[in-house]
Amino acid sequence: MTWQFNEWHTTHALPLGATKRAEVGARVRAGDIIASGTTYGSAVRVAAARRLGVAPDDLARVMRVPLGAEVEKGAIIARTGRRFARAVSAPIEGRVAHIRADGDLELATIVDRWTVRATLDGIVKSSDDSEIVIEGFAWGLQGVAAYGPDAFGDLTLAVETAGMELQPSRIDVRQQGRILVGGARSGAESIARAHACGAAAVVAGAVPASGLRVLFGDDTGAHSKPMRGDMPTVLCLLGFGNAPLPASLFAPLAELAGTRAAIHSASARLFVFAARDAIRPPAQSPSLALVSDWGALRPLEGSVTLGEEMAFPSEMSARVVVTADGPIPAANVRSLA
Amino acid sequence: MTVATTAGPRATVDVAHEATSIRIGPRTDGADLTVTYGEPLRLAVLVGRDPVNIAAAHAAALGANADIVASLGTAGTASLVDRATVLREARPQAALVIADKGDTSAIVELVEALRLGCASHPPSVFVHADEKARVRIAASASPMHFEALPSPATAGGREAIVARLRALRRGAGDVVLRDEAIESAARALAAASGRATLVVDVTGANTSLVCASGATVIAAHSHMGIGPGADRVVARAGLDRVRRWIPRPIDAPALLERVFNRARWPDAVATSPLTLALEMSLAREAIAHLVRDARRAGLDVDAIRGAEIVVATGDLARFPRPAQTALVAIDGLAGEGTQLITRELADALIVQGAIATRAASADVAGTTEAIALVLTVAPKRSTTVTVTDANGTVEERVGRGALFLVPTTGQAQIALSGQTERYTASGLSLGVIVDARGRPLELPQRDAERVPVIARWYSALAALPIDGGAA
Repeated sequence: MTWQFNEWHTTHALPLGATKRAEVGARVRAGDIIASGTTYGSAVRVAAARRLGVAPDDLARVMRVPLGAEVEKGAIIARTGRRFARAVSAPIEGRVAHIRADGDLELATIVDRWTVRATLDGIVKSSDDSEIVIEGFAWGLQGVAAYGPDAFGDLTLAVETAGMELQPSRIDVRQQGRILVGGARSGAESIARAHACGAAAVVAGAVPASGLRVLFGDDTGAHSKPMRGDMPTVLCLLGFGNAPLPASLFAPLAELAGTRAAIHSASARLFVFAARDAIRPPAQSPSLALVSDWGALRPLEGSVTLGEEMAFPSEMSARVVVTADGPIPAANVRSLA
Repeated sequence: MTVATTAGPRATVDVAHEATSIRIGPRTDGADLTVTYGEPLRLAVLVGRDPVNIAAAHAAALGANADIVASLGTAGTASLVDRATVLREARPQAALVIADKGDTSAIVELVEALRLGCASHPPSVFVHADEKARVRIAASASPMHFEALPSPATAGGREAIVARLRALRRGAGDVVLRDEAIESAARALAAASGRATLVVDVTGANTSLVCASGATVIAAHSHMGIGPGADRVVARAGLDRVRRWIPRPIDAPALLERVFNRARWPDAVATSPLTLALEMSLAREAIAHLVRDARRAGLDVDAIRGAEIVVATGDLARFPRPAQTALVAIDGLAGEGTQLITRELADALIVQGAIATRAASADVAGTTEAIALVLTVAPKRSTTVTVTDANGTVEERVGRGALFLVPTTGQAQIALSGQTERYTASGLSLGVIVDARGRPLELPQRDAERVPVIARWYSALAALPIDGGAA
């Protein structure tokens, strides 16, 4: 959970119906389209091998268009013979989506088009019909969970201090296309407003769990939920409820304001495309504590010492970390390293 | 490996917890066995219309602790593309295909969808179909490789599927999965006691119910828990079902925050009575939901609920008070008849279960402590229960809705008026619990009515410390 300048890998899952995708070895920038395709509507089964009188395995040999090609209504898809020709033509406009084992074709209508964009500046390491992996260097910050589609934009501070809540009143259309950095908390109203104003994403220490359910559905859990389409993007850096960002996380965010950045939802990571020496995160990592009722998290900035085992009001016994505010179970304290 | 015997050397076993591992045994340089949760497995189920096959597929998934990420049937009207889209989004690591007799074309349709959706990252495909259908399925699945297996509706077939799926969860390492260890432990306990034994294992990430009786073992495992699996309990059972067990008013958003933070904080310690109550509530719902899943999968839930001995393991056994373990087990299972509730001592049973997976026998003596003898009754009119122990005889009137504890010392015997049967147990740390609340447990909807009821139940067993002191 600390800032790291590393070589990162991002995996981009592709939906069904890819038409174009970046080749292995291609150099890409965050935000570049690395794959595009079509969303299929209803499909029509077309008898092909049977109609042509060829074995299913030989169908590919007599096809006039490749699998995945877009065809117009009436276009010849496959043909045999010269003098007594047999042909299979498209009954609808669409794409040849699938060749069945029995030699029939599935011709699907096109109802929409999709694109997938890179979230790293780097090189395509692998590319197939279902996913593309990119490898590249960037400053990265691992969050706890991210929700919504991948996002790209310049990093913009929307709060003055790490402990502030991102208020809806601070968000307007001037932040269009930017990744907004909130402080300790960003509520559902702020996230919805940021999305309505065209902001690319919101990054905050914590987001209320109920707000996430309002925005992303009742099946939303504590783990990342990558999505597609016109949805807001949120990156929870530390947890849920309220979590002031430690200075070691917030200060570099402030320094990097205005820099190009991206959020990869599936891995819950923020990438910032700045030079290796753009920031100098502190060598010592701060610790984070889960408050006693688990409703929030707080950074432990002062000195702490490891204490003996003790019993808590719940009667649970655990080894403790002694802080200025009292003892906390050692298991409820975590280093951000 | 060094196998434990009553007289010989003991094995050293590493038992994985949420984020850490605890070594139990004499060695310090390494472990003979490692018990882990295994990798989560994403399973797609492609099945015909036969309810027996549908239930069998779900039972196999429960047995292997696989997460069903897509369940497609031939009864639906979805198109090939719709089905392929579902499978692509689900990204299964394994697919279980069960063909009905005489419905080959429909199952082939599902396999075509599997190839369209997942061919570039093919899952492991396991197929049960007759020979003719298998040839057609093989043609449609190509180039995906598949393995033909016996019907999951038979014990042998289910075992074979569970073994294949567990192998995928195990990965490359030579490890014992926690669910395997629990099953072996349940077998060993049932063999040792000669009575139907149910092991209820609730940990941060998993919940298991394994009922062993003679040679029969009924097993259901899920990735719901009171730690990293807590948000799954809420997602599947619903937040209100978890909230209803909290013995004080708390609004749903505040509770959800706590659940989500717990889910992302492995091994977090519940320091306040509220967080402890939350863990207990999550455990109840994880158990109750798994029982419902087991019923849907056609498993013998009556056998699970009616087991004579209930053994709590994992985090369920580690609640500070034995009464907390007992109350959660009683509420979650909604058991019937008379049951002896016991709990595991510090991973001891899991260790013996792990050893039993590699050895002919296991020494389960001394791995559990007896907590309470629970008498579940549904009296139509007030009745009397007589408890006899080393201190004498106590008679208690039992009205509908009652829940109370009779502390006992030494050997305890209970008898219900009008019945000739006598139940005995010894060394109970709590005593005899009489539960006349009825089944299913009905809780009032409104907080103002429900919270006092729940608080009364906690209080009856002295199961929750109150802020600032013990109850």
